[in-house]
Amino acid sequence: MTENIYLPRMATIQSMRPETIDITTFRVTIDGSDETERFEYKSGQFAEVSVPGVGEAPISISSSPARPGAIEFSIRRVGELTNALHELKPGDKIGIRGPFGNFFPLEEMEGRNLLIIGGGIGLAPLRSVILNVFDNRAKYGKIDIIYGARSPQDLVFTSEYEEWRKVDNTRLCLTVDRGDEKWQGNVGLVPTFLKELHPSPENTTSITCGPPIMIKFVIEALNEMGFPSEHIVTTLERRMKCGVGKCGRCNIGSKYVCLDGPVFTLKQLKEIPSD
Amino acid sequence: MVNQKKSKVIEKGRLTELLDKLTQGYHLIAPVQAKDVSFRRVESGSEVTLDYINSVLSPKNAFFSQTETLFRFFRDDNRGFQIEPCVEADREQVIFGIRPCDARSLRLMDMVFNGQYRDSYYLDKREKTTLIGLACFEPDETCFCPTFGIDPASGEDVDILFSDIGDRYLVEASTEKGAALLDKFAGFFVEPRGDEEQLRKARKAGLARMKKLDVSAIADKMAPLYGGDYWDSIGLKCLGCGICTYLCPTCHCFDIGDVNLDEGGGRFRCWDSCMFPEFTLMASGENPRPNRKTRIQQRFFHKLKYFYDRNGELACVGCGRCIRYCPVNIDISQIIEEVASGKAGND
Repeated sequence: MTENIYLPRMATIQSMRPETIDITTFRVTIDGSDETERFEYKSGQFAEVSVPGVGEAPISISSSPARPGAIEFSIRRVGELTNALHELKPGDKIGIRGPFGNFFPLEEMEGRNLLIIGGGIGLAPLRSVILNVFDNRAKYGKIDIIYGARSPQDLVFTSEYEEWRKVDNTRLCLTVDRGDEKWQGNVGLVPTFLKELHPSPENTTSITCGPPIMIKFVIEALNEMGFPSEHIVTTLERRMKCGVGKCGRCNIGSKYVCLDGPVFTLKQLKEIPSD
Repeated sequence: MVNQKKSKVIEKGRLTELLDKLTQGYHLIAPVQAKDVSFRRVESGSEVTLDYINSVLSPKNAFFSQTETLFRFFRDDNRGFQIEPCVEADREQVIFGIRPCDARSLRLMDMVFNGQYRDSYYLDKREKTTLIGLACFEPDETCFCPTFGIDPASGEDVDILFSDIGDRYLVEASTEKGAALLDKFAGFFVEPRGDEEQLRKARKAGLARMKKLDVSAIADKMAPLYGGDYWDSIGLKCLGCGICTYLCPTCHCFDIGDVNLDEGGGRFRCWDSCMFPEFTLMASGENPRPNRKTRIQQRFFHKLKYFYDRNGELACVGCGRCIRYCPVNIDISQIIEEVASGKAGND
């Protein structure tokens, strides 16, 4: 009997940290001794998270593999499964399959500056990168993080910003589409803010994740600023079921986002149809 | 080529008895005449019909069920679950009467379900199955399997090939598995009389007239058509009914869903279709294939380019089912001709 790729492993919710009104970070351990450690993943990968009886969905991992002990998923309440997940409590069980997909090329980026650009819940997989490179700080140059959300209340991981800003040679630049009376930071869309900050493409790799419309304009801005397409790294989202290239729905051209992605360089994207 | 020494013959009068015997040791799946001819599990040889060009559905259901339970779960208290994988009972199955085109489609499906991640539900059934093919001498006018290098009278993708040569079947094993099965039922088979090859040759005469399209560079020719006007007219015609995908022996897309009951439930998978808008609809409301044009384009690009890019084969076997049953006469063979001839790009 070969390993069954559709069977989830049971996992326990250790804690739930509300990030925004509709986003919560779930800290999870896989049941059984060493099972959490044996879940070997890399930043950018995702897992199929399920609530038995409700369903399953691909969720990117927001924790860093350099910080073992638990796996984190930051999940927005948007559909049937994510609604059910938000109804759970610490101690409840969920199902986990994975990790699946490819990952951000952190090894290839060693020695380079990083420009990390996120929008909304898109910061979740980028947080895995951020924490990961912080734990290997000497291997990378300057780290610029540009992050935006619709409003100050929609920013995620706010409790960690202070810690992030303390890291050597690291800048965190925040923006919101609409401010409020307390907001003192930038107001404006992420691509516009990016152009204003105008980071240098020299020896820099850019990684971006966010809503498709933001990614589109961020890529245009990066192109204008002279970032070469092999150093523009982004992630793609498609409806997925199996996560392992069988069920046939997440393809873009000949590529399956679940197998060949979700991480692609702009150079790779130029070679596949633009649907 | 099949080793001549392995060739045997069975008199037509003994076939039902052989099939009866097969049902005793195996799950026998064979064509049955109901409203239409379809492959079903049979309990006796007398249920089987051999009077068909091809079945409405290919026997892919025997490996990749239309609906299949992946696992059941039981709530062990308020918070936990026990998961019990659903593995079908250990059984050897024999499929009798599969056509060479449908047998080839299984080889294509193997490429999907095998690989880095092994789909044990499909592969276990495949391993436990012996395929007995039935050579095709009178294809339908919509058939065009030679396009894909398939010889409808050959046993290339089956374990044993039966060829109807009049009063008897010529029986040839093309794999060890097939030879073993023939050995096991050796009492039914006799030595060839000597005129079998000649009889087969006569029966094959009509096959030379079959449609054989040029697909030599089809994947390359598809590439520039992406997003083009060509798919607008086809998309306007398409009703989005999905019959093409359900009948297609190479279509493998599926959905996964959960069933919830008080004490537990299960997770199942079922066939799905790229013709349906929900197929790619994301929870965010975004749909990368929002209309019939993009969906029908996906279907033909998958068959004629994407599958080829990934696996080095085109995902069509020329069985003609989608052509026969499409309510608005969308015809993959016509599309192939138009793409191959360059007509598709000039609309």
